[in-house]
Amino acid sequence: MSESSCYILDNGAYTAKVGLSTKLPKVVPNCIMKAKSERRRPFVGSQIDECRDASGLFYILPFQKGFLINWDTQKTVWDYMFSKECCPVNFNETPLIVTEPLFNFASIQEAMTEIFFEEYECQTLLRINATDLAEYYHRKTHNNECTVVVDSGYSYTYIVPYIKGKKYREGIRRIDVGGKVLTNHLKEILSYRQLNVMDETYVINQVKEDSCFVSQNFMQDIEIAKKKGSANTIVKDYILPDYTTIRRGYLRDVVKSDEDLEQQTLRLNNERFSIPELLFHPSDVGIPQMGIPEAVMHSINACPEENMESLLENIVLYGGNTLFPGFRDRVYNDVRSFALDHFDVNVYLPDDPLTYAWEGGKHIFRDPDFYSFCMTKEEYEEEGKALAFERFDI
Amino acid sequence: MSARESGRVKEAEKRRVLDDAARKRRARKAIEALEQDNFHEDPHADLVMSKKVPKFADSNEKPTRKKKSKSAEYYKMRFRKTFAQLVEEDASFRPDPPNYLSAQVPPSQFPDRYFCAVCGFPSNYTCIPCGARYCSVRCLGTHLDTRCLKWTA
Repeated sequence: MSESSCYILDNGAYTAKVGLSTKLPKVVPNCIMKAKSERRRPFVGSQIDECRDASGLFYILPFQKGFLINWDTQKTVWDYMFSKECCPVNFNETPLIVTEPLFNFASIQEAMTEIFFEEYECQTLLRINATDLAEYYHRKTHNNECTVVVDSGYSYTYIVPYIKGKKYREGIRRIDVGGKVLTNHLKEILSYRQLNVMDETYVINQVKEDSCFVSQNFMQDIEIAKKKGSANTIVKDYILPDYTTIRRGYLRDVVKSDEDLEQQTLRLNNERFSIPELLFHPSDVGIPQMGIPEAVMHSINACPEENMESLLENIVLYGGNTLFPGFRDRVYNDVRSFALDHFDVNVYLPDDPLTYAWEGGKHIFRDPDFYSFCMTKEEYEEEGKALAFERFDI
Repeated sequence: MSARESGRVKEAEKRRVLDDAARKRRARKAIEALEQDNFHEDPHADLVMSKKVPKFADSNEKPTRKKKSKSAEYYKMRFRKTFAQLVEEDASFRPDPPNYLSAQVPPSQFPDRYFCAVCGFPSNYTCIPCGARYCSVRCLGTHLDTRCLKWTA
């Protein structure tokens, strides 16, 4: 049995990356949204692109704190994804690679196995951590021994060290800061300082994506943000979408006569860099945890000493938060300053950090041993769910 | 003759000051708020999402598929467990350290930084009643007018 393509589903808590390995992946919001403007219709996954007025969207997410909890929502979104409308697939002929969070709970793993074999009637299934796929991809393209994978997603940031292709569980670290915390914090401070946007998660998430950046020198940027007039190179106006002429907001230089403006605008100053700063200093909002570079060092120090050199040379970043401008450089500079001088430090940011793990799935499918990682429907019917726990290292 | 007293100190004593427990409760609430997916109520909670509309097949052929796919509701009931239940369960599934709980990073070695609760710039002062940070008299005024001791309301 050797099919020509497989179906890869990187099932993220906010977006799922989905598609056949022979095609390009689609990034689909892994949720159902309800709009104020269209009362009759829930928008599943990418259907939200058809929504004309995306103000006041209400989210129904299958994931809670990074784990799959709401199965009815997930089932609806999956049905959409596997249908003709999105990325059609016939699981009778196509193997499936599906990703799960690290340390996924036993009963969720059982449910995953059951739903794919019994409901979707998969013939061949591989359940795997997204970080495994990313590490595999990096190892195949760089031929290295050890890797540190930093997955900064919607619910969490995970730091996972791999030694010779195997994840080193003692070194896994989780920071409870992800894109959701950043968006919520931005929403909170904007609502307090300027305009009540508490109901506008979708729009404020776009504000975050369009205007935030990672500061390379936080205190210096604070000083710049304090300045007035043209000396302040950070302050910008964000024009909010009105859904008649502007579908997506945009960032603009500050124009003097603020009162004459017709559109609703937000003036962003220190918010632009103090939001992503939470990834580096969660304590700024009272979350008593390390930032990413410190946690990377903490993770590497938990690994055997002889692997330290190789780990520091292969730090791979992916996930939505790594898209902030300056993210890679900041991680590099901070890790460089923490690490001993005689070690080299390399931090890699892939061209497309969102679909990096998905691409890794493409590579693992070409592995000559691919089918030995998988579980087949016959095996499932023969030995049941217990085998899945043995076979899949989640 | 009674000792001389500072009017400002006397004033301060009269004010209600939140105790440590209340401050921690507030801080926890603020962190919980950062975890929320929605802040508003479902605007169409009363609407039935998937109405069972009778489907009229285009052809008279009988459906060939043997197994009927189960509804989303079925899986909701089938795998219903809350996050807290799952964490508890995990303690027996993976009792030894490398598990979900142990993977959380410890606190940073670096000292906390404080920012003005009003404007977001570095702050040097703490509000006496509630413990929030502020950076200037102007921001303190805004804070007293808006959030101080009103957060929990």
